[in-house]
Amino acid sequence: MSKLKIDTIAALSTPAGRAAISLIRVSGPDTFEILKKVFKPGGKRAFPLHYSAYFGNIIEPETGYIADQVIVNTYLSPKSYTGEDLAEISTHGNPVIVSKVLSILFKNGARQAEKGEFTRRAFLNGKMDLLEVEALSQLLYASSTTQTRLALNQLDGLPSKYIAKIRQELLDQLVQLEASLNFPEDSIESIDENALKIKLQKILSELSLFADNARNGSMISEGLKVAIVGKPNAGKSSLMNYLLGRDRAIVTNIPGTTRDTLEESLIIDSLPVKLIDTAGLRKAENDIEAIGIERTEKAIETSFAVIGVFDGSQTPDSEDMAVLQRLKSLEKPVLIVQNKSDLPQQLNPDFLAGLEVIKASALKGEGMSELISSLSKTLKVNGISSLEEMVLLGASQVNALDKALTVLKRAEEGIGNMYQDMLAIDLEEAVRELGRVNGETVDVNTLDIIFERFCIGK
Amino acid sequence: MTEKRHYSVIVIGGGHAGCEAALASSRLGADTLLVTMNITTIALMPCNPSIGGPGKGHLVREIGALGGEMASCIDETCVQMKWLNTSKGPAVRSRRAQADKYLYRQRMINTLFEQENLDVRQGQVTEILVSDNKIQGIKLETGIKFLCERLIITSGTYLNARIILGRESWDGAPQNQKAAIGLSASLEENGIKMRRLQTATPPRVLKSSVDLSILRELPGDIDAGGFTWEDRLRRYEKQISCFLTFTDERSIEAVKRHMSESPLVLANITNEGPKHCPSIDRKLLKFPDMVRHQIFIEPEGWKSQELYLQGLTTGMPPVAQEDIVSSVVGLEKAVILRYGYAIEYDALAPGQFHKTMESRKIKGLYTAGQINGTSGYEEAAGQGLIAGINAILSLRGETPYWPSRTRSYLGVLVDDLSTWSRNEPYRITPGHAEFRLTLRDDSAERRLIEDGYRIGLVSKERYDKIFTWKKRIEDEIASMDELSLLPSSEAREIMSKTGTGDLKKPASGAELLQRPGMTYKSVIELLHKPSDSCLTAPDEIYALETEIKYRGYADRELERIKQTAFLETIRLPYEIEDERLKIINKEALEIMQSERYDDLSQMVRLNHFSRSELAILLAILNGEDCDNEAEEDNSNK
Repeated sequence: MSKLKIDTIAALSTPAGRAAISLIRVSGPDTFEILKKVFKPGGKRAFPLHYSAYFGNIIEPETGYIADQVIVNTYLSPKSYTGEDLAEISTHGNPVIVSKVLSILFKNGARQAEKGEFTRRAFLNGKMDLLEVEALSQLLYASSTTQTRLALNQLDGLPSKYIAKIRQELLDQLVQLEASLNFPEDSIESIDENALKIKLQKILSELSLFADNARNGSMISEGLKVAIVGKPNAGKSSLMNYLLGRDRAIVTNIPGTTRDTLEESLIIDSLPVKLIDTAGLRKAENDIEAIGIERTEKAIETSFAVIGVFDGSQTPDSEDMAVLQRLKSLEKPVLIVQNKSDLPQQLNPDFLAGLEVIKASALKGEGMSELISSLSKTLKVNGISSLEEMVLLGASQVNALDKALTVLKRAEEGIGNMYQDMLAIDLEEAVRELGRVNGETVDVNTLDIIFERFCIGK
Repeated sequence: MTEKRHYSVIVIGGGHAGCEAALASSRLGADTLLVTMNITTIALMPCNPSIGGPGKGHLVREIGALGGEMASCIDETCVQMKWLNTSKGPAVRSRRAQADKYLYRQRMINTLFEQENLDVRQGQVTEILVSDNKIQGIKLETGIKFLCERLIITSGTYLNARIILGRESWDGAPQNQKAAIGLSASLEENGIKMRRLQTATPPRVLKSSVDLSILRELPGDIDAGGFTWEDRLRRYEKQISCFLTFTDERSIEAVKRHMSESPLVLANITNEGPKHCPSIDRKLLKFPDMVRHQIFIEPEGWKSQELYLQGLTTGMPPVAQEDIVSSVVGLEKAVILRYGYAIEYDALAPGQFHKTMESRKIKGLYTAGQINGTSGYEEAAGQGLIAGINAILSLRGETPYWPSRTRSYLGVLVDDLSTWSRNEPYRITPGHAEFRLTLRDDSAERRLIEDGYRIGLVSKERYDKIFTWKKRIEDEIASMDELSLLPSSEAREIMSKTGTGDLKKPASGAELLQRPGMTYKSVIELLHKPSDSCLTAPDEIYALETEIKYRGYADRELERIKQTAFLETIRLPYEIEDERLKIINKEALEIMQSERYDDLSQMVRLNHFSRSELAILLAILNGEDCDNEAEEDNSNK
């Protein structure tokens, strides 16, 4: 008789949402094995010691990508809340970061804890008595289906319907396939493999796009794009450097120095932002500048908000006019920085009338906190809903989505070389995983649908 | 000489379930009595004259692997053997035989009568004798009582059976036999819940009145082999064909014209009939736009003058049947010898027996076949075998045999039956088996021969033979992993000629075989493997190629199998007291204890527990189970 194998669980233990700090708990026998893979502590202390705090980075092992700087508190079994090996990871209080860290933990062997599971483990390991546990009865007696649904409920509305639609399309194909496999003599039209291949290709590209948009943590590397535009030498690069706190863009007083766009990620008020320093909109004098300007246009198009930078120490010229016109034509949030406030101001206030203008000096740091809070407000007011949509998927859902993509890809590639029963195995797995993504039923009962849809009678 | 009135095991019913149960029981050494209402109709095929098909064929091969009788009986008495689904993949490929109904019956009757430890008697059982929820024996309508330790009821469609033909209906059973009256009431008196199910059969027509010459002929496959391991390479040189025709507008018109006389419309029959085998009237009601329905015309035996009209099942009255039959191409002048009919019968309400087929209520009582809510000869035989085996194991006080759904279709069958409630007769198909790549037809003996030998239905001699075969295949699979081809210029040249790509680094035999288009034969040539160390039999090569080529899929399946198999090993106790249980969903716990499911996998499939509750149960039950095992160990000594 094999003894019980307890797996390792992880979950966010603080309320979901933005906060100063979020706490992720990991508990179970593999806790530290997993952490050794994904956590790089600073310093030379051995890891893990009992009841110790470590500062370090959570890293995605395969890419080396740093998800967050964190503090990890370690508790060795049995002296922990659950009685098992347990780690508490304090991350920055950003849902995107939390999701990313969780998904890294899940990829490396932990699974999502169910509601109340830490407490149950504590109880099982004799850490709590029954009275204490019964006080939590509401939580603990909740039926399993409710528990699972709770975790999935967040996915409601369009993305959910979108997944449901794709799942249904695949299910239709699967039912057709299964019907012909299970009832070979019932004159069920066998599946048209070429048509299926085309259909799967279409579904794959749609689903990949969805996955890209929804993928947890993708917002960290992508961030909400904010383009910084203005005529050359208006101080865009200085502004960016100030926000990033380091010299990233080349700052000179020769117009057109920034010929390419520069992108940098930062967190503003717990929101991931990608700043794009553009080459300006100056009429190109050579090919290199022309490329830069083309890229500027692209950056403006794809960004979530735009910061327009004007040199306050100079009278606006035709180029400033052109930039202003472009900004006014945009249907996205625009913030104006009247830069170089440390110099005598020549810019007529009427020029920027009707726009939200922040007077600042990127070089001296004046007005920067105002800019940051304004930017944060803009992002939150205009971006919060779309951000929510982007990060809607929990790590386990992304996991399911990835699995669905993998098997569908294999199915698509296999058509023509692979027997249909294997194809059906892949399609069924995809349907099952997609059901997991949007919280629909995971079980796939094709037989019942077959009897509804086909006249079986041999 | 006084008549023997006390048996270890009594089997009621001589259908496909009863035959397997009685043979298993007597072959395992228990003195066994088979009581049937009619010795002449033992092993009768009252409906279609065929055995096998996807799922069903898998079952039959597994029955053969475990030492059951159906496989060899049909191998010897078939008139046609056919491969199905050959182009669709190894998991769904299966064999189907057309039977000579008469020979099959005769062969099975002979086997029963020649079997040691087995007595066969004709009589109608009207009562089961129970005391303290334990089976004691049976009483016949003649008043005679037989005592027994274990009773296996395989009553088929006979309990309180009613034949329905349009508006007419009467008490009766297949082939103008009597319905079994009394037994059902006795079961209910002892706390067993019954329900009504129905099924139907098509008309049989006189062969000489059918114009087969204008119909599409469906011959068998000479090289399909038989269901038993011994017959796996048997060539069936002499076979007879089936024929195919279709309904058209005229037939639909005829059905419509008589629709008011359909039992479905008259509602003088329960609606709980098999979805997978609908009557022609049901087809029309459900798919009104469909005009072209297939009708397979199947012989009932080598010399039989009767043809079976697969697809024209109905309980409509004779005139309707005549109109419908004569509307079909080739059947215009067909003479109906036996009319189709619908039959309604008593079966157990769902959820009353264990995976061993033993009643959850009455100890020592087993049920198998249609009484358990299945349809089909194969499903019946499989359950009969499992019931027979378990009756003996429990007599001996040994661990019951619960075939795992991860290892056999038999496991899928008994697990589905004891787990799910269904409101229609159950038919096995590959769609029920989530691990179907593992449960392939060709791997049946490799999966089950150890079980058959351990149970005792497979002789040492047979086991040795099959084990050698199994080992040969598995050793060769292993050697495909061990041997590798180095990318020499010669090898690269040959590889490029095969069109399966260059050879840039050393590749194992298995890796080579996984390339599209590569075969075992081409790989052993590339590897210069000495021919005396290579497989030559086509079935062995097929097994090897399938295992290696679809390894990726099989490995993923294996991961899921491990989870299910682990949960299956956690047997559920019915009375369990543990403070820690209070933490678990009360409702689920109550279901677990009151419904008496067998193992944790059932509870998980029924979605009763969350994963963390499962972990707690596992922890608790693990402790329990160790105790149980210790007890079993003692009792075996």
